Amino acid sequence: MIYFDNAATSFPKPVAVIEAVVAALKAPASPGRSGHTPSLEASRTVHRARKAVTKIFGLSDNSRLVFTPNVSWAINAALSGLGLERGDHVLSGALEHNSTARPLARLVKEIGLDWEVVPPRDGAMVASDFAARLRPQTKLVVLNHASNVSGALAPALEIKEVVGEIPLLLDAAQTAGAIPMTDYGSKIDLLAFTGHKGLQGPTGTGGLWVRPGLELRPLAVGGSGSRSESLEHPDFLPDALETGTANTHGLAGLAAGVEWVLATGVEAIRAREEQLTTNFLEKVAGIDGIQLFGPGLGGGQRVSTVSFNLSGWSSSDLAAALEKNYGIMARAGLHCAPLTHQHLGTFPGGSVRFSFGPQNTVSEVIIAADALNELALARRN
Amino acid sequence: MDVAEIILVFSSNTKILNAEDLLEEKNLPFILVPVPKEVNPNCGLAISFLESDRDLILPVLEAADLMPAAAYRRAGDLFSVWPLVH
Repeated sequence: MIYFDNAATSFPKPVAVIEAVVAALKAPASPGRSGHTPSLEASRTVHRARKAVTKIFGLSDNSRLVFTPNVSWAINAALSGLGLERGDHVLSGALEHNSTARPLARLVKEIGLDWEVVPPRDGAMVASDFAARLRPQTKLVVLNHASNVSGALAPALEIKEVVGEIPLLLDAAQTAGAIPMTDYGSKIDLLAFTGHKGLQGPTGTGGLWVRPGLELRPLAVGGSGSRSESLEHPDFLPDALETGTANTHGLAGLAAGVEWVLATGVEAIRAREEQLTTNFLEKVAGIDGIQLFGPGLGGGQRVSTVSFNLSGWSSSDLAAALEKNYGIMARAGLHCAPLTHQHLGTFPGGSVRFSFGPQNTVSEVIIAADALNELALARRN
Repeated sequence: MDVAEIILVFSSNTKILNAEDLLEEKNLPFILVPVPKEVNPNCGLAISFLESDRDLILPVLEAADLMPAAAYRRAGDLFSVWPLVH
């Protein structure tokens, strides 16, 4: 199998991740709930994950890093917790995933939020376009750090600089572990991430960084292991936003995944994925009938996700042929990002997406490029 | 005479684990114990050390902004509130 769907979930997971999850499953897991030794060990496991993620984002206070089941939950926790009201103005990028677009659309419908989408230029977000749209009513800026369709990387730190004190909620689903981010913790107000993509952990893991000074109303309240005597949910982080027993087994794997990323080096991962992406774009550029979306060779910042269509093929048929004939796993369709496809002009048919990971090889990329060439010829003849 | 033990109770599990990391890193004498039910109904952990080690432990926690929410002195079965500031 050639696995090019790392934007959906990374594969294969590092061996250390598998071993960490198995080890955690072999022990009682009730972090922060009891005074006995296995409970303490479970707490240490969760804490190890917290420290690892704190390091990769350069966060100043690990107690303000909240674990959630996934990045969608983290984004919802931020959007619903900020206390946005009717008439409040929120800016977002145009390349948002449904994990952001749907909660924003719901707030528009339910509370009368004024949500404005900043259009892209040549498929990319531009900081000055955010600055130009700020109003006195602007309460939040939301940004997908990298498109899960085209791979276009948004200038998040530049955008934060131009929006000033207005909080920026960054969706780092496609960038955490894939690009160096140790300088983000000191600048980004709300940073939502998933654990099972670039951070190499299991599904069911993710989280949200909440910068000091920002308070969020919890999306859910309940058990926390702290202040058991009170019927009021704790108001301190991370407990305030971590309701119910933590996913200790998953977080054991996340800790190992992030430690693997840190040991491998985010810069080294970035360089490898850039090489794979460049090789792919160079190899397929000459294929008759291929249409590539997103930043091209030497054309703007990107991550290792590429989208394309091939004339004569629907995106779903092409992805199916890639799997059936060549064992290549790709994702076809709209990728939970209809807004992005509208901007790319690929709505509703979608595109085929390859997303390379640190364990892919150049030879796999060459096999895939040759496969696309053959499939292009097959439909032309 | 019994040696008095000091029990530090923190507001969150994360804080106590950060305190554990810090005190371990500095090789200071302490242990983690279940929070005594005599002083606090919570189900978490506390840091315990000998009263005579006060000046080793507290300045380190204070410098790291990891002061406990409450502190207690235990002598045998007797617990009393222990002032964090002299």
